[in-house]
Amino acid sequence: MRVPLAWKNLTHDWRKLALALAGVAFAVMLMFQQRGFNHALFDSTVELVRRLDADILVFNRARFALTSELRFPYEMLERLESQPEVASAIPLYLENKLATAHRDGLPARPIRVIGIDLKKAGFEDATGALAAQEAVLQRPDTALLDRLSKQYYGFDLSPLQGEVQTGELAGRKLNIAGLFTLGRDFAHEGNLVMSSDNFRKYFGYRSAEPLSVVDLGLVKLKPSVSAKEVVSELQSRLPSGVMLMTKQAFIEREIGFWARSTPIGIIFAIGAAIGFAVGVIICYQILATDIADHYREFATLMAMGYQGGYFMRIVLQQAWLLAIFGYIPGLLLSWLLFQFNSKWTGLLMNLSWDRALLILVLTLVMCSLSALLAIRKLFAADPASLF
Amino acid sequence: MATIEAPFGDLDHLIRKWLPSPEELSIAIRDLNHFYGDGDARKQVLFNNQLEVRAGEIVIMTGPSGSGKTTLLTLIGTLRRVQEGSLRILGTELLGLDPHELIELRKKIGFIFQAHNLFESLTATQNVRMATELLGIPTGTAEPRIESILKRLGLGHRLHYKPKSLSGGQKQRVAIARGIVHEPRLILADEPTAALDAESGREVVTIFKELAEQQGCTIIIVTHDNRILDVADRIVNMVDGRIKSNVLVQKTAILCQILQQYPLFKDLTPSVLASVADKMSLRRFADGTDIVQQGEVGTDFYVIAQGVVEVSSSGKVLSHLGAGQFFGEVSLLTEQPRNANVRAVGDVACFLLNKEDFQAVVSASESFEQQLRRVLFDRQ
Repeated sequence: MRVPLAWKNLTHDWRKLALALAGVAFAVMLMFQQRGFNHALFDSTVELVRRLDADILVFNRARFALTSELRFPYEMLERLESQPEVASAIPLYLENKLATAHRDGLPARPIRVIGIDLKKAGFEDATGALAAQEAVLQRPDTALLDRLSKQYYGFDLSPLQGEVQTGELAGRKLNIAGLFTLGRDFAHEGNLVMSSDNFRKYFGYRSAEPLSVVDLGLVKLKPSVSAKEVVSELQSRLPSGVMLMTKQAFIEREIGFWARSTPIGIIFAIGAAIGFAVGVIICYQILATDIADHYREFATLMAMGYQGGYFMRIVLQQAWLLAIFGYIPGLLLSWLLFQFNSKWTGLLMNLSWDRALLILVLTLVMCSLSALLAIRKLFAADPASLF
Repeated sequence: MATIEAPFGDLDHLIRKWLPSPEELSIAIRDLNHFYGDGDARKQVLFNNQLEVRAGEIVIMTGPSGSGKTTLLTLIGTLRRVQEGSLRILGTELLGLDPHELIELRKKIGFIFQAHNLFESLTATQNVRMATELLGIPTGTAEPRIESILKRLGLGHRLHYKPKSLSGGQKQRVAIARGIVHEPRLILADEPTAALDAESGREVVTIFKELAEQQGCTIIIVTHDNRILDVADRIVNMVDGRIKSNVLVQKTAILCQILQQYPLFKDLTPSVLASVADKMSLRRFADGTDIVQQGEVGTDFYVIAQGVVEVSSSGKVLSHLGAGQFFGEVSLLTEQPRNANVRAVGDVACFLLNKEDFQAVVSASESFEQQLRRVLFDRQ
C-alpha cells in the first residue's frame, strides 16, 4: 500500500483542516448564492408558464416578454380550435401594470392578476391548491392569493381555513377566499388568480369586450400530434400578428429576454466569478502554507529522487480533497440559505442536481488552479540547501 | 639474512584496498572546481580537488564551516550541477549529465541530513516506506526490511509512532533508517550521530560498517563527532575549498604497525611514524621487473612489503632482500646515481617514499637519520 501522503498531510492537524474546509465551503457558498439568485430570477419569471398545461402557446408577435401587455384577438383561438391537430385552445388573461390591490386603509399596489377558467385549462400550482379550490373561484368577485406575495398588500398570508378576506382590486371590492403558491419575480410582487368571468368585471378598460383580447393562448394538441412538428404548420395557417411556440421554446425565449436585455444575468455572473476568485485565493493560501511548512521534507524527497510528477500529484490530490470535502458543507449551508432566501424574497431558489454538479465542477477547477499556482513554491525547494 | 614477519593477512587486504582498479572506484574526483554566483559576484569555492574513494570505503570529512565540504558533498550527491572538472560516482560522469539521469542516480544514494526532515503526519514506518516506495520495492520485501532496520536502531516499540511522540535521537534514527533502507550504494551523512547518545551512535556506526563491508556501500560522513572517527577508512580534511589532507587511516595504521617492526623505524615516535606512513604509497612489481636500475637518478625510497628482490651490481648478484628490508636510500642521501640494480624475484610489493618526503623526514627526525646511518653502517 502506498503512503497516502496528501491525505496524511491534510488531515494531520484537524484544526488547520477545519479552517481550510471552512474557507473552501465559504467560496462554494458564495458561488451557490450567486448562481442561485441568477436562476431564481429566471425560474420565478417562467414559473407561471411552467405550471400551465399546454403543448403550444399563442401570443402577440410583438409581445417581447410576459410583462409587456400586447394582446391578440380571441378569434385566433377559435380558428386554432378548428384545426384538425388541435384538441383545445384556451385563453389566459393577464393584468399587471394597471391592476392594483390593497386592503382597506393601505395604499394600492400593482399585482398580477391571472384570469383563467380552470375547468377548461390546465393550471396547477406546486401544492395542488388550485384544483381543490376550483369551486370557490366560481363565486362572484372572488380570487385566490399567492401566499408568496409581498406583505405590503396587507392581506393575511396564512389565514384560517375558509376565512374570506376583503380588499380592493382595481377600485372594486374583492374577496380573497383562499391561497395558492406561485412565487414572486423581479417584475411581480404578488399574484391573484380568478375565473375569466370575474376577470371581465374588474378589467373593463381592456376593451369593449374585455375577454376578446387574450394574453396567452393555451393550445392542447390531439394525442399523437407532436408540438415541435406541428407548430410551424399551424403558424402558417394564422395571420403573422400572432406567434406560436412550443411551451419549452417559449420558456427559453422568456429567459433569453431577461438574460440578454437586462444586466441582471451579468451581475450574478460577476458575483459568482468573485466567489470563484475568493476560492482560488483561499485554496492557494492553504496549499502554499502547507508547502512552506513541509519545505525541508519535500526537499528531502527531492534528494531521494522523487520527481516533479509526484509532487504535482500530491498537491493536486490535496487540492481535490479540499474541493470535495469543502464542497459538502458548502452545499449543505447553501441549501439552508436557499430555504431562508426563498422565504424572505418569495423567489424560487431551486437547488437542482445539474446546478449542484456545476458548482462541484467549478470548485474542482478552482482548487486545481490554486494547486497550479502553489506548486511553483514546491519546485523552488532546493535539496542542496539541506546539508 | 633474516626477513621480518609482517602481518600479511592485513597487508593483503590493504594492498587490495589501496590499489583499486577504476571499476572499484565509487567516487573519482579530478580537477574539480566550483563557483557560486555570476559575473562580478562569481566566487570560487572549490579549487582543483582530487579524490578517489573505493567502493565500500567509509570516509569521514572534516573541516571548518565554509571550507567547501558541504559543497563537495552536494556535488557528490547530485544535488548540484558539476561546473568544471570531472566527478564520477558509481561509474557515471556527472559533468554534463542529463538532469533526469541525475535524479535517477539519486535513487542509488542514501541521504542522512543533520535535521531529521520527517513528515510529522507519517509514522516512523511510513516515513521509511517513502524510500522503498520510490524504488518500487514490493511491500512483501520492504515491510520486513523496514521493521528489522527500525528494530536494530532500537525503535522496535515505536514502529507506528509519529515524530511528535519520538525523542530527538529517535527521530534521527528514523531518518537514518530512511536513508539506508533501500540499500544505497553510496550514503552521504551529515552529522548523523550528533543527536544520538553513545549507544545509539555506536549502533549507527556498526550498521554503517556492515553496509560497507557486506554490501560494498560507500559512506561519506561529515562529522565533528570524534567518537566515531575509528570507523573511518579515510579521513579527508578540507580547508578553504581545497582537500588539505586525504589519509587512508587503516593504511597508516597498518603501515605504522608494519614499519615499527623494522629496525629502521623502531625508535621513531608515533607521530613521525604516522607522517612517514601517510606519505608512503604502495606499488606492485611483476616478476623480473627492474625496480631500480644502476646508473639512473634515484627518485624513491623503497620498503619491501611482500616478496623478494635481487640486488646486483654490474651483473654480479650482491644480495637478496625480503619483506621489511629497504633499498634505494643511498642515492637519495648522496644525490648520486643508483649504485646497484634491484630486480623483483616473483611478485613484489613495495612501499614507496619519494625523494622530497624522504629527505624531509630524514631532516625532521634526528633519530631517524642516526638510525638510518647506523643501519647503513651495519650493512657495509
